[in-house]
Formats: sequence, C-alpha cells, structure tokens
Amino acid sequence: MASKTAIISSFIEAAPPGELSNVVADIKTLVGDDLQSYEPAFKKYHEEQYTAVDVPGGSGKVLLSKYNSLGSNRYFDPTSGNSFAVSFPSLKTSDADSHSPETSNPDLIRSLQAAFSKSAAEHFPSSTIGVFPIGSDIAILIVANKYSPQNFWNGRWRSTYVLCDSGKLSGRIKVDVHYYEDGNVRMQTEREVSGVGGSVGAESVVREIAKAENKFQEELNRGFVTMAEGSFKGLRRQLPVTRQRVEWEKIGGYRLGQDIGGGRSK
Amino acid sequence: MSDPFDAALDLLRRLPPSQTQQNLASIISIAPDLEDDLLSSVDVGLAVKRCPKSGRDYLCCDYNRDGTSYRSPWSNDFDPPIDPDDAADLVPRGKIRRMEEELNKSIDVYRELYYEGGVSSAYLWQLDEGFAGVVLVKKSSGGAGKGGWDSINVFEIIEATSKRSAHYKLTSTVILDLGLKNDAVGGLELAGNLTRQEELDQPLAGLRDAEIESSHVANMGRMVEAMETRLRNLLQEVYFGKAKDVVGDLRSIRLLSEAEQERQSHKEAISKMGGATI
Repeated sequence: MASKTAIISSFIEAAPPGELSNVVADIKTLVGDDLQSYEPAFKKYHEEQYTAVDVPGGSGKVLLSKYNSLGSNRYFDPTSGNSFAVSFPSLKTSDADSHSPETSNPDLIRSLQAAFSKSAAEHFPSSTIGVFPIGSDIAILIVANKYSPQNFWNGRWRSTYVLCDSGKLSGRIKVDVHYYEDGNVRMQTEREVSGVGGSVGAESVVREIAKAENKFQEELNRGFVTMAEGSFKGLRRQLPVTRQRVEWEKIGGYRLGQDIGGGRSK
Repeated sequence: MSDPFDAALDLLRRLPPSQTQQNLASIISIAPDLEDDLLSSVDVGLAVKRCPKSGRDYLCCDYNRDGTSYRSPWSNDFDPPIDPDDAADLVPRGKIRRMEEELNKSIDVYRELYYEGGVSSAYLWQLDEGFAGVVLVKKSSGGAGKGGWDSINVFEIIEATSKRSAHYKLTSTVILDLGLKNDAVGGLELAGNLTRQEELDQPLAGLRDAEIESSHVANMGRMVEAMETRLRNLLQEVYFGKAKDVVGDLRSIRLLSEAEQERQSHKEAISKMGGATI
C-alpha cells in the first residue's frame, strides 16, 4: 500500500472539475492533516487543470500551466507583461514584476492572442485562454468550465496545442464530466490532434484549431451513439425477446436448457 | 461534513468510479477504523467464482462471504470450506434456503431473458423481524467498445401479522462501465454507478408455507425486474443524454454569435405576432 502522502496526493489530483474544495474537506475530516504539506499535489492539480487566477495589479485572469511556469511558484502573463507568485493551496497571487519572456516571435504571439480570443468567444460561452512562448515554439491553451452543483454535475474542457517553428500544429483535447445525483458517473475523453500543418499566420492557425475541435466534438457525439447502440445495448435488453414482462408466477415452467456449465457466463 | 464515514462515502462519490476498488483500499489504509462499515456499504464490481460441486458460476459479495470463503447458491457450500460451527450459523436451511433456491432458479430465467448471458446469484438470510436478501447480476459485452454491468439489489422484507401481505424494501445499485477506443474519437470512458430505492406492500397468495414462499419469490422478482428496467433507462439518459448535453454546454460547434442572432430575430418575430389579434 502506498504512503499516506502518496494516497492523499492522488485523491487531490483526481478531484473532479469544480469539486476540489469538497475533496479537500473530505480529506481533512479523514486525516485532519495540515494541507500545506500537500502543496506539490495542489500545484500539480492546478497546472494540469489550467486553473485561472486573477492577475495581480491587472485586469482579467491568467491560467496556470507548466508552459508559463518560471519555477519557484512564479508564473508569467504575456498579456500584462508581468510575472507573479502563486501560493498553494490558497491560490493567492502576489509580487507582480515585469517580465518579458524570450521569444523569437512577439508579433505572432500577440496576433495569436487576439485571434484565439475572438475564436474562443465564438465557441465557448465561458473560457480562459493562454498563449505562451516555449523556446521557439508557442503553446496555445484553452480551459472552459461549467459548474452546476445544484444539479449535481460539473464539466471541464481543456485544449492544448503546440505550434512549432516549422508551422506544424499538434495538440490534445481533454473533456471531463462528472454527474453525481444519487450516484457517481464520470465521462473522460482524450483525443490527440496532429498532422495539422503548414499554417501560416495567426488567423489560419486559429481556423485550423476550430476545425479540429468541431470535428472532435462531432465525432464525440457519434461516439455516444456508438456506445449506446453497441456495448450498452449488448448488456441488458429493455424487454425480453417475447416483448412482454416476465410472468413470475409461471417462471417455474420456463425451459432454458442451460442448467449445467455455469450458463453462458460472459 | 464532520463524520469520517460520511466523508469517506462522499470522497468515493467524487473520485473516478472506475477506481472505486483501489480508492476504497486506500481510504481504509489511512482510516482503518472505517474498514468494516465501508466494506459493507460500498458497492464494487462483483467477482465471479466457479462452484466446484455444481460446476456453475456464482457471484461474490459481502453477504455470501466468510473470511476468504464464499458460499455457492447452487451447492449451498462454502468454498474453501469453513469451520462447521461457523457454517451452522451462516448456511441457510429450511424456509430461507427453500426460498433462496427458488429465487435463484427464477432469477436465472429472468437473467437469460433480459441479459442473454451473464451470471446471476441470490442470497437470503434471516433477520430478527422478517428476512433480507440480495439479488446480483453481472454481464459483460464486447463489440466496438467494452461494457460491464453489475447490479446489486438488496431487500428487506417483513410479513404482515395476517400473512396476507408483506412489506418489501429494495435498494438497487447498478455499476456500469463503458469504453470506446478508435481513431475517430480517441479514447472515451464512461463509468459510474447509480442507486435508487423502492418500498411497497405486495400480497401473499395462499395459506400453506410453500405457497407463501413462492409468493415472496415472485414478488421479489417483480420488483427486481421493474427496478432494473428503470435503472437501465435512467443510465441511458444520464450516460448518453446528460454527458452529451454537458459537452454541448461547454463548447458550441455552431458559432455563438450566429445562434444569438437567430435567437434575437426569433424574439422579434414573436413580439411582432403578439400585436396581431388572434
């Protein structure tokens, strides 16, 4: 069995969208520990889930990720030209300082921010984007959340794209949905997006991304249908092949011919 | 939430349902006092064992377990065998065993009619007042994706003093795991469980013991059938309807400005119609 630290860290990292505080409250009741000792787990959670925090001394939000991390719990925000400190688990931001990330392409970054911002607003009712230089490449991120705890469900969409120097674009889309009314249902899907290449200019890149995401969403909807009509239907019929409910008083008279051999256990 | 047991249950409802077995073990390792209560209250996927005497498969749960041995509903023996003194307390006889045998036979037919495969088992035990039982079904499916259904139906039954009817309380949980892996969608996992309850009085036909026992079996079967059908439909709605809706709420394929424009012109058209006399 793993150590207590490893176990609790894994619980924090697996928290569903919008429910981190519930998971933390449960952990506190179970072990009563000082949560500060799990700072690395909180940091990992927020960087993976693209949590958006307020820009200190600025307007708007910036998302946290490994792509805009400067180490020592400092992150940078290209929009305001600042870097700032974040404390975990409180997520308080502080100590803003001017910061210009090294990039060979500041104009492209700016036009990507503008174009992606516009495109995101056309597809996501609510979202936070991040365009960060990483060496000679550019990371393009989006996180969209929808929380409805009063209806017992929460969802999160995360897209991660890397635009290479060569113009090649690749990425990954992750969607996570949790429904928990008298139960616990989790949908998690992950899709690689690759081979989208030769994009020149911000508008074209953003167009390619929107196209890939539309395609993914259409195929996801088809995937639900495939599941419903395939593996789900193959589990239990709505009615027996007789199209009638069982006559339980007469069930003793049914013949199955499957008495021995454990039946057709599948 | 100040009660550790409630916190553990809440935590298990938040963490990925496909990891329930591992998470349960993890929680027990950090809060060992909760072990017994958690093991008897948390539903996990059912294990299948082969009964050495009858050659038939049966399902394992806390209700037919003693230590690491499980009782087969077909042979009524524990495998591996247990101490005869313990067996005297745990192995049902008489009325309870007769009903259990009949229930297993009926549920076996029900399973074949609705599941066309899979494994089922039922276990009954005496209570101070009335008796209790559990009906289990396990089914897997293949195809383009993988699927697993485990249903756990727990009964509490009290006969009226007149013996003309009985009160049945049923709590049912279905654990459903679905997965799809292909080039189009990448990887899609839908896993979870839903629990519902039902309580009602049903008549007991006949005066002789055998008739009353058969009545109980038929009444339980009827409730299981209705409840599992209800849960199947609810799961379909939640898994495929709700999940799809939430994704649609997160992102719109259609441009939001277009949708808004259409909404506005629709509103204008309606308000224009409102001015006309009907």
